[in-house]
Amino acid sequence: MFDLSVAEWTALKLSLRIAVVATAWALPFAVTTGWLLARKSFWGKTMLDGLVHLPLVLPPVVTGYLLLIWFGRRGPIGVFLHDYLGIVFAFRWTGAALAAAVMGFPLMVRPIRLALETIDRRLEDAAATLGANSVLVFLTVTLPLALPGIIAGVLLCFARALGEFGATITFVSNIPGETQTISAAIYTFLQIPDGDAPAARMVVIAIVLALVALVGAEWLSRRATTRFHGE
Amino acid sequence: MSNKSSLFAALAAVFFVASWLLSAQAQAQEKSITVFAAASMKNALDDVDEALAKQSGIKVVTSYDASSVLMKQIEQGAPADVFVSADLKWMDYGSQKKLIDEDTRVNLLGNKLVLIAAKDSKLAPVTIAPGLDLAKLAGDGRIVTGDVRAVPVGIYAKAALEKLGLWAALESKMAMAANVRAALLLVARGEAPLGIVYATDAKVEPGVKILGTFPDDSHEPIIYPVAATKSAKPDAARYLAFLRSAAAKSIFESYGFAFLIKPTS
Repeated sequence: MFDLSVAEWTALKLSLRIAVVATAWALPFAVTTGWLLARKSFWGKTMLDGLVHLPLVLPPVVTGYLLLIWFGRRGPIGVFLHDYLGIVFAFRWTGAALAAAVMGFPLMVRPIRLALETIDRRLEDAAATLGANSVLVFLTVTLPLALPGIIAGVLLCFARALGEFGATITFVSNIPGETQTISAAIYTFLQIPDGDAPAARMVVIAIVLALVALVGAEWLSRRATTRFHGE
Repeated sequence: MSNKSSLFAALAAVFFVASWLLSAQAQAQEKSITVFAAASMKNALDDVDEALAKQSGIKVVTSYDASSVLMKQIEQGAPADVFVSADLKWMDYGSQKKLIDEDTRVNLLGNKLVLIAAKDSKLAPVTIAPGLDLAKLAGDGRIVTGDVRAVPVGIYAKAALEKLGLWAALESKMAMAANVRAALLLVARGEAPLGIVYATDAKVEPGVKILGTFPDDSHEPIIYPVAATKSAKPDAARYLAFLRSAAAKSIFESYGFAFLIKPTS
């Protein structure tokens, strides 16, 4: 029953690849944004907060359509990236990764921001008085203390990226081997008369992957808490 | 009353009013007919529904998507009263699974398959025949259509390309959108240099132009059957009768559909 066909294996590998790349690319942006929102006051802060959470509340197809407008072949950012960096999103797995990253971004920012807000500032101050400059403080004190939140954010974003469908299929359509992730494969199988069995297999795999990611997040998070917060 | 309990009372009141309003709306929905129609029917059928509402007050709620998706939803118990498919295969599937009322089934409309490009594309019109180098025409871009394994337009497209001997070269250049209108959007936005959609879709989208029409004999005749579902409301019969009327005929034909039966009235 768990003999996966080529199409199913391809979808699984593609999903994992897209989710890993999406999460990796979103991480630095999420840490920066989380830090800005947690520590700084500036004009437009509420707007930034709102923008960050937009993919969370907008219908995914709308997000996909907006990605098409901005990052597509004729979109302003898409044209710039293509001309100067040679990056193309149309109908490629890079587009699927972008869609997944955008959809998972708010889920990564929230725990990171929360973790940064609840760190004991006095530890940072102590490091500073002992002579560390702000970069060193950030890298050796702030980040490790925020690690449980960062891990939680990373794994939530990963799980979300694995399951991303609406924005992806609107932005880069459904191409086996390129943009057909597990969700898109299930969607296709459900439309074919005898596709219910492969669809069911993919559904079970998707559930298992999601559970592994979430349980892993919980375990890693708790280990980091014990290690850095000493309980 | 203290502040907290008056706030609670206010919230409760809002909640009850909201649910009463929503349930009233749900009841109104129950009096209307639910139609599941192929995505390519969108503009034409919206106009037909409006004409029907003006003429007889029957309210119609229509869900547009790929015929494959819709029939699978009906199979799972979705409360559709009428099903309009873009090919015979999905209506036959419904018939086989005893989901539709055979007596109400009518092959209503016909359509043509066309090759499109963005309005400002530099590609010139072509004759679609064996030997046409579509791969070269597409360049390094993709040809987008509905999923060739399930969505009617994709199935017609693959059959046509196979008949013309072009499929082998193109298989790796295809991109599959969720339904024909999604494919149309991708071509209109210039994401894909070429697309295969229905002639009626090309007609309603100003952002695309037709480069060529697939010969009728390269694919199964494109026929749109309509039928009431087994669980249809009584008004569904009036809806189907209206679809067969001269008024509906003129609307469908204005969008480019071929009307395959003799219109009543």
